[in-house]
Amino acid sequence: MNLLTSLAIGILFAAGIYQILRRNLIRAAIGLVLISNAVNLFLFSAGAYTGIEAAYSTATRQVSDPLPQALVLTAIVISMGGFAFVLSLLYVISTRYKTSDSDEVKGLKN
Amino acid sequence: MQDFVLALPFLLLGAGILTALAFSRSGWTASRLGWTLSLFPFSSFILALYAFTLVPSGKALTFSIPWIPSLGLNFSLYLDGLAALFALLITGIGTLVVIYAGQYFGDDASAWRFHAYTLLFMLAMLGLVLAGDLITLFIFWEGTSISSFLLIAYKFKDEAARKGAFKSLFITGGGGIAMLTGFLFVIHLTGSADFKTVLASGDLLRTSPLYPVLFTLIAFGAFTKSAQFPAHIWLPEAMTAPTPASAFLHSATMVKAGVYLLARLNPALGGTDTWFWTLSIVGLTTMLVGAYLGFKQNDLKPLLAYSTISQLGVLVALIGQDTEIAFKALVISILAHALYKSALFMSAGIIDHETGTRDLRKLGGLCKQMPVMFGIMGIAILSMAGLPPLFGFLAKETLLASATHPSLPPIVDSLFPLTTVLAGALILAQAVLAVWGVFLGKPADEKHPPHGHDPNFSFWLAPAVPALLSLLIGLAPVEPQFLVNFLADAAKAAYGDKVKVSLTLWTGLNVPLVLSIVAVMLGALLFRQRGRIRPWMTNFLPNFTVNALFNGTMSGLDSLSRLATRLQRGQMRFYLRVMLLGMVALVAMFVGVPAGVPVPKFEWNLVGLNGLRMFSLVMLTAAALVSVFIKRDLHAVIALGITGLGVAVWMALDPSPDVALVQIVVDILATVILILSLSLIPRRLRDRANELLHSRKGMARDALIAGAAGLVMAGLAFIALNTRPRESVVSPFYAENAKPLTGAKDIVGAIVVDFRGADTLIEILVFAMAGLGIYTLLHYAARKGGEYTREPPEIPLRAHTPLGIHNLPTSPMLHMLAYIMFPLAFMLGVTHMMYGHDQPGDGFTAGVIVSLTIAQWYMLFGYYETRRKLAWLNRNNMIVAGLTLALFNAAGGAVFGGGFFAPVNYGEMLGLPLPAGFGITNSFFFEVAIALTVMGAATLILDNLGHPREEDLEAEADLAALEEKP
Repeated sequence: MNLLTSLAIGILFAAGIYQILRRNLIRAAIGLVLISNAVNLFLFSAGAYTGIEAAYSTATRQVSDPLPQALVLTAIVISMGGFAFVLSLLYVISTRYKTSDSDEVKGLKN
Repeated sequence: MQDFVLALPFLLLGAGILTALAFSRSGWTASRLGWTLSLFPFSSFILALYAFTLVPSGKALTFSIPWIPSLGLNFSLYLDGLAALFALLITGIGTLVVIYAGQYFGDDASAWRFHAYTLLFMLAMLGLVLAGDLITLFIFWEGTSISSFLLIAYKFKDEAARKGAFKSLFITGGGGIAMLTGFLFVIHLTGSADFKTVLASGDLLRTSPLYPVLFTLIAFGAFTKSAQFPAHIWLPEAMTAPTPASAFLHSATMVKAGVYLLARLNPALGGTDTWFWTLSIVGLTTMLVGAYLGFKQNDLKPLLAYSTISQLGVLVALIGQDTEIAFKALVISILAHALYKSALFMSAGIIDHETGTRDLRKLGGLCKQMPVMFGIMGIAILSMAGLPPLFGFLAKETLLASATHPSLPPIVDSLFPLTTVLAGALILAQAVLAVWGVFLGKPADEKHPPHGHDPNFSFWLAPAVPALLSLLIGLAPVEPQFLVNFLADAAKAAYGDKVKVSLTLWTGLNVPLVLSIVAVMLGALLFRQRGRIRPWMTNFLPNFTVNALFNGTMSGLDSLSRLATRLQRGQMRFYLRVMLLGMVALVAMFVGVPAGVPVPKFEWNLVGLNGLRMFSLVMLTAAALVSVFIKRDLHAVIALGITGLGVAVWMALDPSPDVALVQIVVDILATVILILSLSLIPRRLRDRANELLHSRKGMARDALIAGAAGLVMAGLAFIALNTRPRESVVSPFYAENAKPLTGAKDIVGAIVVDFRGADTLIEILVFAMAGLGIYTLLHYAARKGGEYTREPPEIPLRAHTPLGIHNLPTSPMLHMLAYIMFPLAFMLGVTHMMYGHDQPGDGFTAGVIVSLTIAQWYMLFGYYETRRKLAWLNRNNMIVAGLTLALFNAAGGAVFGGGFFAPVNYGEMLGLPLPAGFGITNSFFFEVAIALTVMGAATLILDNLGHPREEDLEAEADLAALEEKP
């Protein structure tokens, strides 16, 4: 299962990075979400043990590792906040430079 | 408690700095301020003297307060004979320099800055010599580098001053870093930074295989600070400092820091062959080079600087010798040099001040106009030349006596006295040259003789004191017993064994005296033949200097960094490519299994893989790929949403319902926000960008980079997942204690809200900040740039026809749905908050679910209508209320539960009749706070990104203009 999870993580990364590398800023934002999904997936899979039942104290069988779950929960919400900020930057760029092509965004240097 | 007396001088000097700052605007003249401020170093001098009397002979007085106890770091002070010698020189000469600087700057009311820097330097220097451990020493060491930078660059409008200051900081700072590294080796070996331990572990350090490394590093630091060849080049250029600073830093204090360090560590590191040869060769070379270069100079200050370099070389060479007499010579030379050199620098400053020049070619014949200065400088220069009956003579005699090494082969042995005699002759010649050039000889231009007269008493007092002391110590009919004991103590601390010190000038006709006579005669010869020798010296190898090497290195570094900045061409995608390729290359470099680590076994390990899991993986990867290849960006957004849902399914299957729930709602909200903000960007811009996405140009390159990076990440993930520990220390604790400690059945919920409550508090803070950041960006930052003219939204009174997103009319059916969904979502949110402890869901989901229905309203009713209908929904107040509640709630835990965030069950405390499964606990309040904050921030985001485009027409016009362009 690790192999398949790793493959999925790699594909998400590749798809995200490809979109960030292209000149379309909207796709770059999409790529960012794909990458954060990949990271969350990885963190989530890094639990010490896999369980049969959800992590509740009433569970009778082996529960899944609650620690990475709690951490990923936090990560999801925070990456959502960051993503919204990126979108507002995108809007500012589209009004300031009249473009959503990253190569046309000038004035970063000097 | 008497140890505290060691800390008092620091407090006094600190108070002095504050006083200087306090009088910065008072308009006090430098002179008045100088007299006032001199009280601080003077009282420090008295205190240091008093502290020395407390030191039992041969032992040390220590003072220590913990600084970072977890790292074993202390701020500690240490006073023994050696430290006392330096401390008294620093505070004593410091007092004179502060008075002198006041006179030097005269009426200048802005010179408080100079006074403040001087006191700051004094504080750092005193800390350096009184430091009780290596780390404290390092900090003060760097302090002297920085404060001397400020002093050298005091006339910062002068380019030479800035360059000189930079050079000294660059060289001494670099040495400081090397020294710190060496210290870390010492601490690693001895297990302590404390001098008491370090000085007692000499055998351990000397026999360690690391000894050559740590010795080289520490010696490098000391050599750069004490201007040893070839790092001596900063000292002459530091002469651009105002003369009071030169008199202080470059005669008695800062340049002696390296000497002090070597002397201090001699008991621990000295006595080896490496030590002997390195210090001897470097010291003697420096002595000779300094003396040689000094004789070339025409400017008084560089002349003095080079003779200082020469003297520092002598001191370093002396520390290298493992003989008792060398350390006797060391302490006597330190004291003698500090006295005559500070007097000479201050005299040079007075001559410059009175006549307007320091150039020996322009000066001459001033002995009648300035008799007092002639006297002071004459005495000091005779001491420098090493002539009887001055203290300097004694220093030279002892030096020559120590320069014989019967244990070495005769040729090497004879090199020592030979170089010493040669350097002594050169020093003598330039000393006489200086006095002759200023007071006795004729000026080169006889028609314009220099004019000047003796300054008033308070100006010449400062150089007169050390000059007279040089004379008095030499002439004293009986040996001043206190001074003898004092110097013996200092020498003993450096040598590690008892040193007999005597201050008698006449010790009979012996080898040192003969050598001394030879040196004097040779010096006199050099002086007489100066007319021939000095021009020849100027023409000899004029371009071959260490400075040229330094400048070459610096310009080489400059062009290297210019080359590096070429990579920064202002195109973000290029940066990304470089970074990603760098990451891939870095990982590729480390591919392989390090020795000693078991090779992870490759397992297919398909345990737990079932149809549903397979489905979710395929769904999320396929959707991700679709989002890349699909043409329209709106479709790509939908595909992105599907990827997120795929992740959620995977999480739900693990099984972990809490995370899956959050992932679902957040994914939907993100999709909605993305669609909202897409509607803000003009359609044509988006279409053009889409064409670029699928243009052939660079596609293969980007795909290759992305593929390589993806492969690296997959590989890393695979290795990490396969080799991860299969047992957790933390998780079982949470699993066992969730119910008893927090009363929560849901372990994940308990971790989020209770165990790691502070973490969550910061998290909602970040989320709220993101919302506020967007608001600020769209309303203020962008408007400041001039491109963004939108005023904060105002709701028009006139009712609008409800138009949805993109100004499309929406159906009444959907409106009805939205009306129903809103209260339902609210109720759902409340249940999530109430029962989040025992069931999936928590404050986050509650907040996001409500936000989702608000988003629905924005989409269906449009911005104005939603704002009008939901006017009571004040997002700012919600954020404030949420964060305040969270903080007060956590504080409530401290009051009722015995700790910040400690669980408290208020319902039980008050005996309220509550339905089963619901408790009014502080976890519940925290959930409410989280929900409020998340809701407020999400509404803020929706509000700003859902705002209709009022500049639609404008953008259309711009686009039309753009398209007309070829």
